Amino acid sequence: MSMPVSASTLLPARETRPLLIKWTVALLVPLAVFTFIWSGEAIVNTTLLGFISPANSNYDTSTLIQLTIFILVFYAVVIAFAAYLIAVDTGRRTMLEVWLDILIFAVIPLLLVMEPQLGLIIGLALSALIWGIYFYVRNLVRKMAHVPPAPPLQNLTVLDTEQQAALVRRAVEGGFWFAVIFALLWLVVDLIFFFVGTLPAILLIWVALRTILLPVAGYFLGRLSGAIALRRVLPAKESKKNGNSANSSNDVLSKRHQLEVLSAARVREEAKDLVPNDLPLRSAGAQRFFLILLVVFLLFYPALDPILFGSGTNGRLAGYGDAGYYVILALGLNIVVGFAGLLDLGYVAFFAIGAYVWGMVGSTQLNYVFNIPFNASLMSWLFWPFIIIAALIAAMWGVLLGAPTLRLRGDYLAIVTLGFGEIVPIVFLEMDKFTNGANGIVGVQSPSFPGVFWSIITPMPYYYLILALIGLTIIANIRLRDSRLGRAWIAIREDEIAAASSGVNLVRTKLFAFAAGAFFSGVAGIYHAAKLGGVSPDNFSFGDSVIYLAMVVIGGIGNIPGVIVGALVVYAINEFILAQLDTLAADPSNFMHSVLISISHVFPGFTFGNIRNLIFGVVLILVMIFRPEGLIPSARRRRELRHGNDEEVEIGSLDVPPGAPDFEAEVHVE
Amino acid sequence: MTLLLQELIVGLATGAIYALIALGYTMVYGIIELINFAHGDIFMIGTLVSITIMNVMGITATSHPTGWTLISVLLVSCLGGMLVCAILGVVIERVAYRPLRNAPRLAPLISAIGVSLVLENVGLLWKGINYVSFPQIFPQINYNIGSITITSVNILVIVVSLVLMVALQWMVSNTRIGRAMRAVAQDREAAALMGVNVDRIIAITFFIGAALAGAAGFIYGLQYGSTIFYIGFQLGLIAFTAAVLGGIGNLVGAMLGGVLIGIIDALSSLIPDSNNGGFGLPHGGAAWHEAIIFAILILILVFRPSGLLGQQTPEKV
Repeated sequence: MSMPVSASTLLPARETRPLLIKWTVALLVPLAVFTFIWSGEAIVNTTLLGFISPANSNYDTSTLIQLTIFILVFYAVVIAFAAYLIAVDTGRRTMLEVWLDILIFAVIPLLLVMEPQLGLIIGLALSALIWGIYFYVRNLVRKMAHVPPAPPLQNLTVLDTEQQAALVRRAVEGGFWFAVIFALLWLVVDLIFFFVGTLPAILLIWVALRTILLPVAGYFLGRLSGAIALRRVLPAKESKKNGNSANSSNDVLSKRHQLEVLSAARVREEAKDLVPNDLPLRSAGAQRFFLILLVVFLLFYPALDPILFGSGTNGRLAGYGDAGYYVILALGLNIVVGFAGLLDLGYVAFFAIGAYVWGMVGSTQLNYVFNIPFNASLMSWLFWPFIIIAALIAAMWGVLLGAPTLRLRGDYLAIVTLGFGEIVPIVFLEMDKFTNGANGIVGVQSPSFPGVFWSIITPMPYYYLILALIGLTIIANIRLRDSRLGRAWIAIREDEIAAASSGVNLVRTKLFAFAAGAFFSGVAGIYHAAKLGGVSPDNFSFGDSVIYLAMVVIGGIGNIPGVIVGALVVYAINEFILAQLDTLAADPSNFMHSVLISISHVFPGFTFGNIRNLIFGVVLILVMIFRPEGLIPSARRRRELRHGNDEEVEIGSLDVPPGAPDFEAEVHVE
Repeated sequence: MTLLLQELIVGLATGAIYALIALGYTMVYGIIELINFAHGDIFMIGTLVSITIMNVMGITATSHPTGWTLISVLLVSCLGGMLVCAILGVVIERVAYRPLRNAPRLAPLISAIGVSLVLENVGLLWKGINYVSFPQIFPQINYNIGSITITSVNILVIVVSLVLMVALQWMVSNTRIGRAMRAVAQDREAAALMGVNVDRIIAITFFIGAALAGAAGFIYGLQYGSTIFYIGFQLGLIAFTAAVLGGIGNLVGAMLGGVLIGIIDALSSLIPDSNNGGFGLPHGGAAWHEAIIFAILILILVFRPSGLLGQQTPEKV
């Protein structure tokens, strides 16, 4: 696959040109918005100036290094992504369709988020609203225009060597030309800036260097993308391994063969993984690129925030740190409710146990109870082992509650967990000899870590702590879901009796689900106690359990990304959006003020914060009725809940007649 | 001993209210196997509707009507509360549960939690965040038997509950609708094949259950004198516990469970405060009464999963 670099290979081939235009425009517009209208250029220039004259810079060296890594990875990933899209697209969707999608899903959110009046959370919330309307209108238009859904099997073509080489060539051309166009655009913009006088002359060296380097980088990133795309092509039918042609039914069926006998819904899912692809932006390969961008953004967010959103970084980071433990709680509850299908209405109990474990150990409470003097500054080191210990204690309570009650049927189990969730806070409230009762525990230690200053007013360490905890939780969740245990959970969720008949030990499997769910709840609890610097029994009511459940349900029961999004959405509604509305309404010059006044005439004492449960209630009902699988459902769940017209296996696709030796092998593919 | 008997009387009156609410839970569960989380909040709406009707009729916290005025006010506010709640129940069933009749089991349950949140907030927006006082118009007369005191309100509460429960029991066992309800509860499809209009029977079940909750709301107001938007949830949970204790789906069980829970509730306040030394719980039993009730619920479910009077039914495949 090595190709000589010559002018003729780099000029885009005739059939590549439409794809090149399509994806260059699609990616260049949001990229240009980010770079020139928002803060991309500012990040690059501040970083360079920071290195050139450290004395004049507002940023210390570690921030500058973080920014540098972010810039390099960000632009490299975008160029590689362009190359990948150009390589894998079958070109069946028209340019306008793709551009409209990009406009709605990338450009508008960017413009909304960068608007200083709105900020990240409100901007994203508005974008989500726009997305909803867009989906609705699009479906309406499609229904009215009678646009048939695309036949799913179109892109299941096996590429021969020649086509594979063409794929790589397209990627290289795509990467190279995308980088060239982007470099030229940036050059023009920078020259304008220079003549206007806003660009320091010293940066012209960088401008020249960049204009040369970008195309070179584009070429190599294109080759990389080509290699990535090649790993996702449909493999050709494997030749017979042992040469025993008589025993043909033992042959490994080709992937394509397998896909052809699956139902249409399954094929549509599987087709997402494959190259070439009808919907490259939604393909599994593209999702990797999005994931890398997201991770890079999250990792370097504290360094980026002041440049992107201006002052107030600490307040925002603290808010995001709080959102983090909701994510862990939602992921933990998802194991119980989403994977194993056991409704847990008292999940807050395990959270409370985790929080109280650290609340007691990490403060002077134990001294007070047992009269043993502990050195509080040493205690803060214990935070790290106690993440595991608190989680294990919570898990132990999960087992203790689960062991006698798990043989109950679904709804009874829900009630038992609900009862447990009500008992635990009462115990913490009334056992005031140990827990300080209604006053809660104050003065709980922050964690300690060499070289890091932890306190409630410096949210950055907590941001990274919760990021690490979320990362570990997600990995653990994915591993659990795909393990033997996870498959047993899903089997129980689908049909308990069938699962038991297939040899799944019901009690043990359910107990593990309870314990695993409680474990993550304990992790969230200890973080909560350390972050807040205290524990109060008021924070653990049934209402909180319902909110956690709402996160899982709204996001998409059983789907890890869905649950994370659900947690963030619910947290944003809960803590930011309604509070923001109240702040706006408090300002007499604002439009919301008059709205609030007119509502208050009908309902005295009305505030937006007051109706958050009303909103959750309505949302829960609406989601259950209109989208029972949640906002971002797991594919399996969607198939279960939407089994209707498209779920029948197409008999015609079984091209082997029954009775033939191939038939047996074919019907057993699933 | 006197104290015990006195608490028994209080417990009996409280238990009667629990039993009325528990009947709604048990009827709905019996017929569509749904824990109707919104039921407790329907009860709360019932208390608020009764107060509103009284206010509309010109009754305030200080007025003391007598004779026919008293009787008409009591009747109108009780029946009005029942009617509003009944209609509310039917509307909820139509909007939030019927579309989910064939969905996975979790779906209507979550929808019910949603309805509960909505109703609670409707109560909050309607009557505000503070306790609302219920006009104490029923003349308070204390009857002393030996050293225990029974109030006229206690007697009224017990009598009204008893009448409603007997009427319900008669209706379910002796009328055509009752027979249809039992048929639908046993096997919905078979009942439909026999010509029972299943949707209508389910709606009627919600109508009756919610009406009983409305009545419970009225007598709760008479007994305790004040209400607030979140009582529905707490009382609903306890009433549901009563239904489970008696064996869910079983009407007599719900009544028995309600009375037992009421008595346990009252007796738990006799547990001494261990902070004063000796046997007991910190801050006394009253602070723990919810925890005690839920602990009993858990124990019952562990040792007798189908409740006191319920029958163990094998799971349908």
